[in-house]
Amino acid sequence: MQDFEYQKPKTVTEAGDAFNAQSDGSFLAGGQTLIPVLKQGLAMPSGLIDLAGIEDLQGITATESTLTVGAMTTHARVAASPEVQKAIPALAGLAGGIGDPQVRNRGTLGGSLANNDPSADYPAAVLALSAVVVTDKRRIPADGFFTGMFETALDEGELITDVEFPVAERAAYAKFPNPASRYAVAGVFVARVDGAVRVAVTGAGPGVFRAAEMEAALDKDFQADALEGIAVSEADLIADIHASAGYRAHLIGVMAGRAVDAANANVGAA
Amino acid sequence: MTDVTIGQPVRRSEDERFLTGRGRYIDDINLEGQARAVVLRSVYAHARIKNIDASGALAMEGVLLVVTGEDWIAEGFGPMPTKTAIRKNRDGSELSEPPRHCLAIGRVRYVGEPVALVVAETDPIARDALDLIDVDYESLDAVTDAVEALAPDAPQLWDDIPGNLCIDFELGDREGVEKAFAEADHVITLDLENNRVTAVPIEPRGCVGSYDPETDTYLLYNSTQNVHAIRDTLAENVFGIDKEKIRHIAPDVGGGFGVKNSAYPEPPLVLYAAKKLGRPVKWINNRSESFLSDTHGRGQTSRVQLAIDNDGTFRALRTETVAGIGAYCWTIGPFTPTGGSARTQGGPYDFPVMYYRSRAVFINTGPMDPYRGAGRPEATFQTERIIEYAARQLGLDPIEIRRKNLMRPEKLPHKTSMGLNIDCGDFPKVFERTLKLADPGSFAERAEQIKTAGRRFGFAIAPYLECTGGGPKEFAGVAFGADGTVSLSVGSQSTGMGHETSMAQLLAARLGIPFERVEYHQADTDKTPIGGGHGGSRGMELGGNAVAQAAGEVIEKASGLAAHLLQSKAADLTFEGGSFKDSGSGASVSMVEVIEASFDSERLPDDLEPGCLDTGSTFERGEISIPNGCHAAAVEVDPKTGAILLLGYWVVDDFGTIINPLLADGQVMGGVAQGIGQVLTENIVFDDSGQLITGSLMDYGLPRADGVPDMVIEYYEGAPTKKNPLGVKGAGEAGCVGSLPAVVNAVLDALKEFGVVHIDIPLTSEKVWRAVQDQGAHDPKGLIEGAL
Ligand SMILES: Cc1cc2nc3c(=O)[nH]c(=O)nc-3n(C[C@H](O)[C@H](O)[C@H](O)COP(=O)(O)OP(=O)(O)OC[C@H]3O[C@@H](n4cnc5c(N)ncnc54)[C@H](O)[C@@H]3O)c2cc1C
Repeated sequence: MQDFEYQKPKTVTEAGDAFNAQSDGSFLAGGQTLIPVLKQGLAMPSGLIDLAGIEDLQGITATESTLTVGAMTTHARVAASPEVQKAIPALAGLAGGIGDPQVRNRGTLGGSLANNDPSADYPAAVLALSAVVVTDKRRIPADGFFTGMFETALDEGELITDVEFPVAERAAYAKFPNPASRYAVAGVFVARVDGAVRVAVTGAGPGVFRAAEMEAALDKDFQADALEGIAVSEADLIADIHASAGYRAHLIGVMAGRAVDAANANVGAA
Repeated sequence: MTDVTIGQPVRRSEDERFLTGRGRYIDDINLEGQARAVVLRSVYAHARIKNIDASGALAMEGVLLVVTGEDWIAEGFGPMPTKTAIRKNRDGSELSEPPRHCLAIGRVRYVGEPVALVVAETDPIARDALDLIDVDYESLDAVTDAVEALAPDAPQLWDDIPGNLCIDFELGDREGVEKAFAEADHVITLDLENNRVTAVPIEPRGCVGSYDPETDTYLLYNSTQNVHAIRDTLAENVFGIDKEKIRHIAPDVGGGFGVKNSAYPEPPLVLYAAKKLGRPVKWINNRSESFLSDTHGRGQTSRVQLAIDNDGTFRALRTETVAGIGAYCWTIGPFTPTGGSARTQGGPYDFPVMYYRSRAVFINTGPMDPYRGAGRPEATFQTERIIEYAARQLGLDPIEIRRKNLMRPEKLPHKTSMGLNIDCGDFPKVFERTLKLADPGSFAERAEQIKTAGRRFGFAIAPYLECTGGGPKEFAGVAFGADGTVSLSVGSQSTGMGHETSMAQLLAARLGIPFERVEYHQADTDKTPIGGGHGGSRGMELGGNAVAQAAGEVIEKASGLAAHLLQSKAADLTFEGGSFKDSGSGASVSMVEVIEASFDSERLPDDLEPGCLDTGSTFERGEISIPNGCHAAAVEVDPKTGAILLLGYWVVDDFGTIINPLLADGQVMGGVAQGIGQVLTENIVFDDSGQLITGSLMDYGLPRADGVPDMVIEYYEGAPTKKNPLGVKGAGEAGCVGSLPAVVNAVLDALKEFGVVHIDIPLTSEKVWRAVQDQGAHDPKGLIEGAL
């Protein structure tokens, strides 16, 4: 691991200044991705700007229509939050299913989105719920945020401050985990917000994507049966030792059906 | 102060230390002025080394030394030989053993093979310096699959070893089997893969070495399972020095499972560097390096054939195995797939005749050496899978045909066609007890609910046969202190199993002294003259018997002093409940008092000195013991995704006399968890060029606590073995032996309505899902035909 400077600013503005003062700075959130990358020498930043001291990036607030989660909120906190459990239980469930307790106690929403791992869970929720990613410079709608494998619309030095999730009428996430890492081999987030259905798939492709055919079918009839006969093409899916593209395509269908069932069951229970 | 007995579930006294971060592991050991070593490892699976230019590294500030293969050979150091007990090909000729040096000489043969050692002031400097060593490789074709390596046109690893063949081994009655095959109603054939896995002990390997020029001696702290044998290899084979010149100590070791049994190249490199630099040197492997350089296990491809009659009677068993052992013969590398896998073929069943053939093959991968069970899990898997498969093919009840063919206790003692002498046990009783505990009939309702939810329920039972003992001799030393402490030094070794508790418990119980007084020592070549370390489930069988024997000697010595104290004759004394009693006068004196008296010149007779009760005792076993038992597993399988969930697990083990059931339970649970890991999620995968794909825990799927079910574990203690005085049979590996087939057969039971009768392990969700899609279509002769 290369030597680097370490700073721990107290405000978003200070963080931006600290970043600009570095020739090759990097924000540090939970460090669950960044630290291993540094250890392997795959990144050699000149300085780390630790976001842990910035009060404004923490916390969860809910209104009737919007749930706002600070970028530095850990997965464990989202999972255990009564506000999240009430407003969007599927989001709490998703956070509670990330990795393992150690990862959930350190990893953050902002870090997960900025990293945009193609197998990460949160991107599916952000995209399906049509959330807004708020940064220190602007508001980025979900549809424009995830631009490719480990790529986002964030500019150099742009800092995610919060994410605003619209409260869904129905929502659920179903994930088939990688047996080793527990990242998604295929994860499907299904949501109906203001009457419109969105289906986001993670883990199976080179980045999170929406399943248009499924959305159209569920728009007409929000039942798992409505998905029957919709084949997901394996052409654009990834293959590795854990799952072939064909198996991933199949799992997307199964997970989508289970998510719809769970979304309907959630409502029934409430 | 507590009295303990044999058979009592005494809680582990070492756990407080371990659980509060006070264990002392290899990385906790730092010697004054130490430098740090890092190994440069090959990035090619097979390549010629044309040149190594270390000048860039040596020019870096803080770099102290670079050692290459050429330097090593120039020093005249020798290779590390294999110590396999099986050395002969079936035609009587000797196995082929290429020289295994500590650094690659002129050619690399696997990714991860040590090419150079770099020593620097700090670990980061040494790691950075790795990039500055310029190795000019000429890439060669590689072969990582053992069956392919036997093909005539396969890349050859060794110029003087034709066909990549290390050893071609056979055991049993080939002609008898052929005759039985011709006569039986059916011969059922199935090719099986036993996937390659690695143990992943939580503590990676590492060592710290120093050299004292005044005495010309070395000190080596090492995270190992076997200080004596490895010291001998380093001294006698590598350095060509007297073995007393090396003191070898293992501090607390965070897991071994066989992986730390091997003589690895890094410790001798570290000792050499320490002498050369005149300062201590420390080396710690990280997790990525461990995946590449730790020994792996299993990795066998076999054809198994069962001759069976219409009524389910077993007539004969034949197994032919091909196993890649890596590019060299490691410590016992050629043994595991040959003798190690042969002995328990056929399990506890009454097979009139058996035949086993196996070839160990050189391939361009990291080394293979023992992994928990070292051949017996493979043998049991082969036996139990072919039985299950035959039952499905012939429409027989898999439970019934097992019951029908189990060896009856009246048949014992019995020597099997594999030469195993089964002295005692009651296999039917253990089998029926396991069935009773599991009670598969009671699952009917649950199975229905599971099916309604779209999943399927499965159950299977798997009896197993073990053979344990490992190295045949063990030492125990007992030394008393004036302060009342009793120092117990044993040459067997705990790498987490709890000998600090069980050995102390055994000594305290035998002597009738408080448990807390016993201070346990192990794994130090200066403390015990010999020692067999850890391997082959030998802790209690060898170490325990040595302790019991030493306790007997202490009692013998103490009775003389007790007689003096009681003014009676030693012959008139009985020792019971921790006290010597004169049967005539009724007077008695406790062992604790006798020990106290041994340090009191007023009470000691003239011819005795303080310390007169101390003893050192070497126990030598006869034949290896034959543990046995039975596992049962219940699972649910989701045919839509292929996901598997374990619902229940039951075990009845015959480990002979149980010294501490709590510790035995721990052994069984850990072994079962490793078995579950192997058959469901663990898998070592290489790509075609020999690169390791599963080189991190993000891809290598270790079992997790939430995937391992609660277990019901019982012991059958009705058949203590007479092969050793304690009547114990090894407990350390059995959990791994029974769990492979129990879990796999339960999954296949769940899939029977889809016609699925075979899936090779690991049973990944995709393989399970595809088997359901394919409605059981499979090729029973699809793996090894070309190599037969
Ligand atoms: C063993 C393991 C298992 C895992 N399993 C899962 C899983 O099942 N599902 C899943 O979704 N994830 C999983 N993860 C990832 C984990 O959830 C983390 O969320 C993720 O690694 C990134 O979050 P972090 O807070 O650790 O970010 P860091 O590692 O600190 O940072 C990651 C990147 O984001 C940047 N960054 C961080 N915060 C901000 C911000 N506010 N604004 C702009 N840029 C920022 C950093 O500069 C860096 O480039 C796993 C990780 C591990 C180690």
